[in-house]
Amino acid sequence: MTSTQAVRERQSGVKTMAQAIAATLDQEMARDDRVVVIGEDVGKRGGVFLATDKLFDKYGPDRVIDSPLSEAAIIGAALGMAVYGLRPVAEIQFADYVFPGFDQLVSQVAKIRYRSGGAFTAPLVVRMPAGGGVRGGHHHSQNPDTHFVHTAGLKVVYPSTPSDSAGLLRSAIRDEDPVIVMEPKRLYRSVKEAVPEGDHAVEIGKAAVRREGDDVVLVSYGGSMAETLKAADALTEQGIGAHVLDLRSLQPWDETAVLEAVARVGRVVLVSESPRSAGFMAEVSATISEEVMDSLLAPPLRVTGFDTPYPYVQDREYLPSPNRILKAVERALTY
Amino acid sequence: MIRESQGFQPFTDEPIRLIGDGGEWLGPFELDLEPEKLKGFYLDMLAGRLIDDRLGRLQRQGKTSFVAPSAGHEAAQVGLAHAVRKGHDWVFPYYRDVSLLLALGMPVVEFAGQSLGTMADTARGRQMPYHPGSAELNVFTVASPIASHVPPAVGTALAMKLAGRSQVTVCSFGDGATSEGDWHAGVNLAGAQGAPIVFACQNNGYAISVDLKKQTGSDTIAVKAHAYGMPGYLVDGMDVLASFLVAREAIERAREGVGPSIVEFVVYRYGGHSSADDDSRYRARQEVELWRRRDPLDRYRRFLERRGLWDEDAEQRARAEIDAQLVEGIRQAQEAGTVPLEWMFEDVYAQMPERLVRQREELLG
Repeated sequence: MTSTQAVRERQSGVKTMAQAIAATLDQEMARDDRVVVIGEDVGKRGGVFLATDKLFDKYGPDRVIDSPLSEAAIIGAALGMAVYGLRPVAEIQFADYVFPGFDQLVSQVAKIRYRSGGAFTAPLVVRMPAGGGVRGGHHHSQNPDTHFVHTAGLKVVYPSTPSDSAGLLRSAIRDEDPVIVMEPKRLYRSVKEAVPEGDHAVEIGKAAVRREGDDVVLVSYGGSMAETLKAADALTEQGIGAHVLDLRSLQPWDETAVLEAVARVGRVVLVSESPRSAGFMAEVSATISEEVMDSLLAPPLRVTGFDTPYPYVQDREYLPSPNRILKAVERALTY
Repeated sequence: MIRESQGFQPFTDEPIRLIGDGGEWLGPFELDLEPEKLKGFYLDMLAGRLIDDRLGRLQRQGKTSFVAPSAGHEAAQVGLAHAVRKGHDWVFPYYRDVSLLLALGMPVVEFAGQSLGTMADTARGRQMPYHPGSAELNVFTVASPIASHVPPAVGTALAMKLAGRSQVTVCSFGDGATSEGDWHAGVNLAGAQGAPIVFACQNNGYAISVDLKKQTGSDTIAVKAHAYGMPGYLVDGMDVLASFLVAREAIERAREGVGPSIVEFVVYRYGGHSSADDDSRYRARQEVELWRRRDPLDRYRRFLERRGLWDEDAEQRARAEIDAQLVEGIRQAQEAGTVPLEWMFEDVYAQMPERLVRQREELLG
């Protein structure tokens, strides 16, 4: 890219996902001095993925806190700050490293409103890059979304585009409840688009229709949206119309959008890179079966990550590929 | 041991002690506290001692499920409570802090209401007994997972630094908590950030049945502070004046921006870990009796008597008055009524999600 192009893109608001996140954090910190950022390397380094780029220079060490290497400290301190009245945005460097802070999320963050009878609340955000496709093996590639969805009291969002990353992060920061923002790291820099300026917010719990179609419904979210859209485009070439839903939020999730589409079309393929057993799509599948069984022309089918630790050499093969999605679609269409 | 009234030494070999066995003042400085204040310590310790008995009876009657008595810990807890600026500073207690909470001003009806899970519980009946909190008093709601409140406590202290309101957080826990990863995570962060917080360890020598030697290779808890870059004070936690004065110094030090510290209060719990424990399986009766001879109330009563501030008459009147207040508070808590079933579904989120609305309907029909 020439430098003139780069300048033009910046001026027109074209951003990668990582840039959109940094810009949103900047805008929210400028708008509300209760917003603080805490995490490993979020200060001078600007985050290992540059999602907190330049914030330290602008807001200083009291609002952009370089924490010790301790996820329990990051999430626990964020909770304390939220209870006190701040709006902390914590960064976990990789979702794979959230587990030392998992007790803080499950025992404290998720439950403080409930167990205090509403006396104390946790309006905080925990951002974490998640998912595979970066040749990182199991400790840099996992997708632990289901753990959070299973914990009452947490909200979970998982955007797939720069605009949604900005819009959902803004909603998360302004939300009264703790929100886990999972960011598909393999899309951090690979996609660019014009991100709306100003108060652009995406409502938590609302899916987006990415393609219209009448033959099969494809439901996905996060990193797997890329492969799901490739599959949908391949289907279009074959004259098969796929209705593609990007869930964007997992807790709460947009049941209405899914059930209406599935009731209308009758066939659905659910795509997620999380392990299959008791994964998030099992919940979606069960809800479809419970609510719109009569409309189904085929069983809801899942295309997911496998029930193995995330592999290293077979990094791409673990993920739901367009081919695996197309095979499932074929099964649904010929059932 | 002590340089002057303001300037206790950290990392002493023996606990800092200001009242002798006979109630004599041991301090190398003049005690500068009003008689009413001195008597107040005793009254608060007495309330802590007596409420254990009252709530223990309710537990044996099956009206509550759990009691975690603070008997033996009263001096540490009351000293700490009096060192805090009530309603201004923040306090993160643990489950054995009933004397601390009452001394901070938590009404008996609220504490008892929480244990009973009635409408008198400000937390709406959500937690097991001895797990209260108070937004009014800046007292963070007690959580069972040990040391999980330590990193959040540090978070409030970091927020205070930003707010610039000269507040301090006090985080209270037992000796067992110091083995948890969350304890290290929190204390380490406080040290790195110079957070205005005091870590108050009530070391009673046992985490349920596991004694301190199996808990840590350190000689004391206080010595651990050294590695986190902060002073660690070792205090006789059955001496209310030593507990108060050292805690006050640590808290004011944090308030002035000097930094965090650890205060280890050496105490002993007279009862089992809780109403569900049988401590005879792991502690010799002689050991319990030995510690009871250092009783914080008896020792401090002798101190007051030597100063002409207390006698048997005052004792009888105080006991009767406090017990009457406890009985009345517990009665109000019992009569407050049961919490509605549908409250089970509230306060999960700010707004009840569709799914929970449907699940509530499923239960209520």
